[in-house]
Amino acid sequence: MGLLDLFRRDPAPRAKRRERALFDDEFQRKLEMLALVSRRVFAGRLRAERRSKKKGSGIEFADHRDYVAGDDFRTVDWNVYQRFGKLLVRLYEEEEDLSIYLIVDCSSSMAFGDKKKFDQARRLCAALAYVGLANLDRVTVVGVNDGVISRMPTTRGKGRIFKVFEFLSGLTPGGVTDLGSALTTFVAQHKRRGLAVLFSDLYDPAGFEAGINVLRFNKFEPYVVELVDPAEARPSLKGDVRIYDCETGEERELTITDGMLDKMQRAVSDYRAGIERFCAQKQVPYFPADVNTPFDELVLRVFRRGGFLR
Amino acid sequence: MVFAGLPLAQLLMIAGGAASVTVLLYVLKLRRRAVPVPFARIWDAVFRDRQATELFSKLRRLLSLLFQLALLALLVIALGDPKPKQSLLEGRHLVILVDGSASMKAIDVKPSRIDAAKTQVKKLVRGLGSADRALIVQMGSLPSPLSTMSSDVTELDPAIDSLRASDTRADLERGLSFAIDSLRGLPKAEIVVVSDGVLGDVAAIASHLDLGKASFAFLPVGKSGSNLAISEFSVRRYPLDKSRSEVMLEVANTNDQAAQVELTLLGDGAIIDVSRFALGANERLPRYYPDLAGASHTLEAKIRFADGHVDDLPADDHAYALMPERHRARVLVISKGNTYLEAALLLDEYLDVTSVLPGKPIPSAHFDVAILDGVADPLPDSVAAALYLNPPEGGVPLKLGARLSDFGFDTWDKKSPILRFLALGDVQVADGHALSTSSGDRVLGASDQGPILVAGARSGHPFVALGFDPRNSDWVLRVAWPLFVLNTINAFVEEDTSYVSSFRTGEVWRIPAPSSVDSATVTDPHGAQHVVPVKEGRAVYLGEEAGFYKMSAGSGNDVVQSEFAANLSDLSESRITPVSELAIGKRKAGRVSIGAPGSKRQLWVYLLAVVVGLSVLEWITYHRRITV
Repeated sequence: MGLLDLFRRDPAPRAKRRERALFDDEFQRKLEMLALVSRRVFAGRLRAERRSKKKGSGIEFADHRDYVAGDDFRTVDWNVYQRFGKLLVRLYEEEEDLSIYLIVDCSSSMAFGDKKKFDQARRLCAALAYVGLANLDRVTVVGVNDGVISRMPTTRGKGRIFKVFEFLSGLTPGGVTDLGSALTTFVAQHKRRGLAVLFSDLYDPAGFEAGINVLRFNKFEPYVVELVDPAEARPSLKGDVRIYDCETGEERELTITDGMLDKMQRAVSDYRAGIERFCAQKQVPYFPADVNTPFDELVLRVFRRGGFLR
Repeated sequence: MVFAGLPLAQLLMIAGGAASVTVLLYVLKLRRRAVPVPFARIWDAVFRDRQATELFSKLRRLLSLLFQLALLALLVIALGDPKPKQSLLEGRHLVILVDGSASMKAIDVKPSRIDAAKTQVKKLVRGLGSADRALIVQMGSLPSPLSTMSSDVTELDPAIDSLRASDTRADLERGLSFAIDSLRGLPKAEIVVVSDGVLGDVAAIASHLDLGKASFAFLPVGKSGSNLAISEFSVRRYPLDKSRSEVMLEVANTNDQAAQVELTLLGDGAIIDVSRFALGANERLPRYYPDLAGASHTLEAKIRFADGHVDDLPADDHAYALMPERHRARVLVISKGNTYLEAALLLDEYLDVTSVLPGKPIPSAHFDVAILDGVADPLPDSVAAALYLNPPEGGVPLKLGARLSDFGFDTWDKKSPILRFLALGDVQVADGHALSTSSGDRVLGASDQGPILVAGARSGHPFVALGFDPRNSDWVLRVAWPLFVLNTINAFVEEDTSYVSSFRTGEVWRIPAPSSVDSATVTDPHGAQHVVPVKEGRAVYLGEEAGFYKMSAGSGNDVVQSEFAANLSDLSESRITPVSELAIGKRKAGRVSIGAPGSKRQLWVYLLAVVVGLSVLEWITYHRRITV
């Protein structure tokens, strides 16, 4: 971006270039690499072979149950009968394609600080969508703030990744965060349960717990990716200022000193520790994503952390 | 402590007003900088310290207000120019009169007496007490104050540096009068004269000048007095042969020993005469250079010792003069033909003669003189004067009287410029007429039967009338005839009558200038230009430098350029032997008193420095974010 672009009256060309750069060729090459890496790391796993909790006609043994009339004889476990004299039917896990819901927080706070968090969230979302599509999963991308503001219809297949790009590029940050309300709407719209990855800074005036709980209580498997901008923990402010919330407009008048900035830094750390603690207690995978870390490295960390691919 | 600047009441008013404005500005609510944050709720943890922060903020604002009020107070006090009370009440008031006359250009002390005087005065100024105040005055033909009455060395020093000696005499009486007036009403008044003592007749001053209670001190300058001078220098053209001129000058030896001198005369920059002669001790020697040729414009004279060494005052070794300017007189001759008249007019090459036959139209150009030979044609106003030779009856400014025959000049006005140097007693005239005079006419020549040569004026135009035809006499065969014609023309054009070949420096010059202008520009020998007023056709200027001057008056195509010269021509200034004591009557000048010791520091400067220092401190703490 040239210096002169900063002084253009119409910011549209600059915004377009920025969006193009978000998912450029380099980004796509990295996605391919991530897809390959994901296969290597999780070798032995078959495509579209996610095991559901339903028992069915898969080949992976799940459990035994008593034989009842009408059961297929081929499912009787004759070895057990021979050893224990009981007729038990072998149950197999039903194999089905998994639904992956990628939920991107599009509130104003995500655009704070030159949209770094929002851009990082979209890149991570695209990367995980690509991996999911490559595994022939059903991928759905949703944009939320205090409601569902945009939704990409469920799709599958690696070739649909450009549709994901297009959708993510079209997302515009704005509005107030209310994850509880937004995800309530989301679960009402999506009856098919699955993995719900939430990309958010979790700056929710109503409390970040509400949104995650909505997913948990509705049988989704929530996965929290918290976007973190370290600059927000210690802003370069001094003196008499009037701070206002970029979403709600709430104002506070402060005289900021170094001591206060230290306290602010501690407050941010406490807030994030609270998120981590909550997720740990509720067994919700939590993953902090620093905006200054390359997205591919973050994705690999996600893979290593587990939970996303099984 | 007293305030030498603005009065206390005014200071209090300023302080009150400014403090009110400052407090009002601080009372106004601070408009805080609005800063967006991503999640204000996190700041709530920080916000618990709000009470303490507000207290600190208020305290800081109070400190800031007090700081501003302190700066304001310092500035207002500085504006009042605070001084210790003692410094105003007990200080001396000195008027230092520094001789700026020509004798101060003497180089018997190096580099010159005026520079030595400057050094003396600087020492004097640096020795002033904390409360002393001094006024520097250059004493030339007029006293010129170069500073205010001040104790500030930074003001007095430039004034001392600007002292200079001019080619004039110093008027001590005027200088002392100025000093007395300046010191009137001031305590501890003191007049200090810094001079070589060449101040003319000092004793005469005492009769009409009272120094009053003012102390009188003298700082002598100079140590010897070997000098030669050109004390007079003038030039004039010969009236009858204006291509030649004569020079008169006077040289003087002001030393107590006789000396061999060399006098050089330069015409238009080239040497035209060098002569060596002896001058006795304190001798003044006039010298004439008659029948001088070789110069048409400028003349300079230089004197020096014959052995080549320079005397102590080079300023009076060089004199300047300008030759009288000659301009062509336009002469209109109305005649049927007169060989004798034409021959006379040919003698002067500066005459521009136009001949017209009687009855023919007269050219419309301006003529200085018209000569009417046996005719009396009416003359236009463009003809300034007229000479009538044997005029006919009627049309002439005066009536003809009885017819005369076999007559001559029995009486004539020998003092008249028209007839001077003429011998007319034996001129024989065959026939002619007596002339009848009117009131105001002057008979220049007459026979026993009546006036035959009359001068007068009609309607502002002068005329001369001759009652006979010169060809009917033997006058035309004599030298007196062309002299009469040329004298008459010269009398009409007024050439030479008021010419001054050089002015005397130190006097008010009245330089001929066009009467139609109000001012003229005089360029002095150093090239500096001065605009001077013109009153009644004379530019008024007090010249102080010897040399050649130029003057221009008018504008556009009507600019009139002229030149003139100026000389010191003051033998009293050339007598440069310094004196060690000075007395005005019975009042003998003493030594300069010593000022009260103390600090001459200006408190307001320090107050201002404190203000600047505090401002810098405030700037650093603000911009380095120490206090914000």
